[in-house]
Amino acid sequence: MPIGSVILAFIIGALIVAVTGANPFDAYSGLLCGGFGIACSQGENPALQLSNTVVFMIPLLTTGVAVALPFRAGLFNIGAEGQLLAGSVACTAIGIKFAGLPAPVLIPMVLIGGMLAGALWAGVAGVLKATVGAHEVVTTIMLNYVAQWLVRYLIIGGPLQLAPGTSRSSPIGVNAQLPTLLPADNSLIIFGLPASVFRVHWGLAIALAAVGAFAFLLWRTSLGYEIRAVGQSQKAARYAGVSVRRTIIVTMLIAGAFSGLAGAIQISGVDHSLTDKYFSDTTGFDAIAVALLGLGSAVGIILAAVLFGALHSGGAIMQSDSGISSNLVLVLQALILFSIAANFVGQIARLIPGIRRPQALPPELPPAAPLMTEAAAPPPEPA
Amino acid sequence: MSDQLLAVDMRNIRRQFPGVLANNDVVFSVRAGEIHALVGENGAGKSTLMNILYGLIHPDSGEILINGKQAHITGPRDAISLGIGMVHQHFMLIPVFSVGENIMLGREPVAGPDFYDRGRARKEINDLTKKYGLALDPDARMGDMPVGLQQRAEIVKVLYRGASILILDEPTGVLTPQETKELFVVLRDLVKSGKTIIFISHKLKEVLDISDRITVMRRGRVVGHLTTKETNEEAIATLMVGREVLLRVDKKPAKPGAVVMKVENVTANSDQGVPALKGVSFELRQGEILGIAGVEGNGQSELMEVLAGTRKTTGGHILLGERDITTYDARTERDAGVAFIPEDRRGTGLVLSFSIAENSILGRERSPKFSWRNVVLKLVAIRDWARRLVQEYDVRTPTIEVAARNLSGGNQQKVIVAREMASKPKVLLAAQPTRGVDIGAIEFIHRRIVAERDEGTAVLLVSAELDEVRSLSDRIAVMYEGRIVSIEDPDTPEERLGLLMTGGGTRREGAA
Repeated sequence: MPIGSVILAFIIGALIVAVTGANPFDAYSGLLCGGFGIACSQGENPALQLSNTVVFMIPLLTTGVAVALPFRAGLFNIGAEGQLLAGSVACTAIGIKFAGLPAPVLIPMVLIGGMLAGALWAGVAGVLKATVGAHEVVTTIMLNYVAQWLVRYLIIGGPLQLAPGTSRSSPIGVNAQLPTLLPADNSLIIFGLPASVFRVHWGLAIALAAVGAFAFLLWRTSLGYEIRAVGQSQKAARYAGVSVRRTIIVTMLIAGAFSGLAGAIQISGVDHSLTDKYFSDTTGFDAIAVALLGLGSAVGIILAAVLFGALHSGGAIMQSDSGISSNLVLVLQALILFSIAANFVGQIARLIPGIRRPQALPPELPPAAPLMTEAAAPPPEPA
Repeated sequence: MSDQLLAVDMRNIRRQFPGVLANNDVVFSVRAGEIHALVGENGAGKSTLMNILYGLIHPDSGEILINGKQAHITGPRDAISLGIGMVHQHFMLIPVFSVGENIMLGREPVAGPDFYDRGRARKEINDLTKKYGLALDPDARMGDMPVGLQQRAEIVKVLYRGASILILDEPTGVLTPQETKELFVVLRDLVKSGKTIIFISHKLKEVLDISDRITVMRRGRVVGHLTTKETNEEAIATLMVGREVLLRVDKKPAKPGAVVMKVENVTANSDQGVPALKGVSFELRQGEILGIAGVEGNGQSELMEVLAGTRKTTGGHILLGERDITTYDARTERDAGVAFIPEDRRGTGLVLSFSIAENSILGRERSPKFSWRNVVLKLVAIRDWARRLVQEYDVRTPTIEVAARNLSGGNQQKVIVAREMASKPKVLLAAQPTRGVDIGAIEFIHRRIVAERDEGTAVLLVSAELDEVRSLSDRIAVMYEGRIVSIEDPDTPEERLGLLMTGGGTRREGAA
């Protein structure tokens, strides 16, 4: 089903490109080259393209988890972006303030600091949901705005501003920066390019470990069991003696920590300072698509993050090679999400006689559409 | 037989669903003016057949004749115009509308454009109810009516639409014994005035009481056409299940021991916040089954939830041995030795998307047996446990990884019964333990409950089936409007219990 949605989105995308007078094959070969380094026509370096894709993928992994975990508990976390920003702010602040500490101390500090800030951000929504029944969709969206404006304030005229007139923070200390996988050495030539251009950093390992931790939590722990039980049937969870309120709060705290980790990794591993680029960052929103496309499973999230990372990094090459605006990537992303949410593929399959399959068993995670109506469900536990 | 006019003649009806042949060459005929019972276990294909007759499902093949004429039923509209009416098991009524409005709904007499003609509506309903002797007040609010009268309104609604063939789907499931009797009087009157009735039920006593002929279905096929006068309960049950079944519960006299649970003047509110328990007191002893009889909605559900810790009390005390467990929540109750088979199997007792293995530890996922330090699940121990339960409690499933959703009702219930009994509880709370499960599973669950009692467990049983309460219990507590009005012997006549259940009868106070 998710693969069908992706294919459908690409078909519609091709039609859009064709209608606007360009060649869809050029567009997609550009994407393919930029995303995976395959079929490059203008002599791009495949290794560099892959490296860029991985860099884009890293934050999508952890934020994808931050959306998928609450899904399992029946919660819709739209606030991964805000939680990510909270994490990057904490990482920046700690990375500047304690720049003097040695890296083995400081790197864990900035990462854990980012996780705590993200947890706090999501925890607000969790507590509000569990105590007064405020809907998490509304509160997490609102908290996104709070985080965005907080970043704005901090680096434009606020305490983190580098210098008057700039819109960025001072850089974090060198010891707070995650090293790249390859040594940042211009004399070392790898795949025909200086090693320093490959920006893949150790955040990759951390993010993959985070996805592994998510799978372990969900399937191998009592807490994960309870989170899934709450998501499937609050009545059954209550019957089992699970506190639904507590589980909601804990779930949001953990999800926020994953998002906050993404923000910290971005600062520590890629940007090294908080910049105006974060005003318009959409990682936390792409994460919703990643989680949905990946059906909330660890392997699915990795695959979906690879796809979205490739789309991101491919857009630039497509634009430079074939002159088609990289905004097509955003259209494709939107089409994928839309097609999952509306279950277009299922509807189309039903219209074609002959492939009327027996009613498929409901997937582990309910598809997006019911999840979205779920969002209108009453708050838990009156007592 | 052939010289009588057939009101309904369904020939060689076949309907395939994914994975099941729901109706396999079904031949079903109903004579005009008879009460014809359609019996079978869950999943035997009764509902499919009736939904085909009512136009809700289309058969893959086969033909239908109504009053001797070939009929093409493509939807309920066609069925209604052919004079077929259906009274569903779950009423299709709007509680805030009046009885009259409910009956008229969709066919309101109008005075001028869009004006509801209340006067004419009232007159039409009065004419109709008088004609069939169905007393009903058209101005009463539907939500205020007792269930029996709501059902009557459903019947009148169907008659108002001109039905001459009435399909009643499990009509007695929600009724008290008295209401059932009244319904049967109504049904006989309807037949006298020329109506034909199809009566779907799994309660064999009622079927024998009311019907003229019986069609028995099993696994999508018709396995017997019977004339009621010439058959008996055992014969029908054997046809339904496909083997001989033990209808009576076989048990030795109880040997009650010490008092295990003591309930003192407990009060609690319903979900709507109104008092549902108004001072309930009783004692439960080791090795006995205390059955609670009552019309549904008189506080039995709330009582079970309070005892299981999923509902808060507003007063009174619950003692488990010497321990006051009044304020315990579901988890601490369970740890203290109170097991609970909840009445809502699919919503509460199971997480349907979870596998059997996962469901087998619901509520015990943090116990040392299944987790290391409350954190990491012991998957191997859980699998072994689930396999043991499946084997010992005869859950029919290919593997323990099958999602509970994909089990039949009886097997779902066995998973719950297994989980709760296998924890060796001191007290077993069983709410509607056999509701909606097939006869084979009922037999099995009954035997297990009695076995549990014989091992010294104190069992509290709530059931809407009076027969079940009477055959299993060692003592019967009758509940009415949030109180236990009397404690009776299991051989108390049904009439007396029925009277007590509806607030009548002389009360014998709960001397245990």
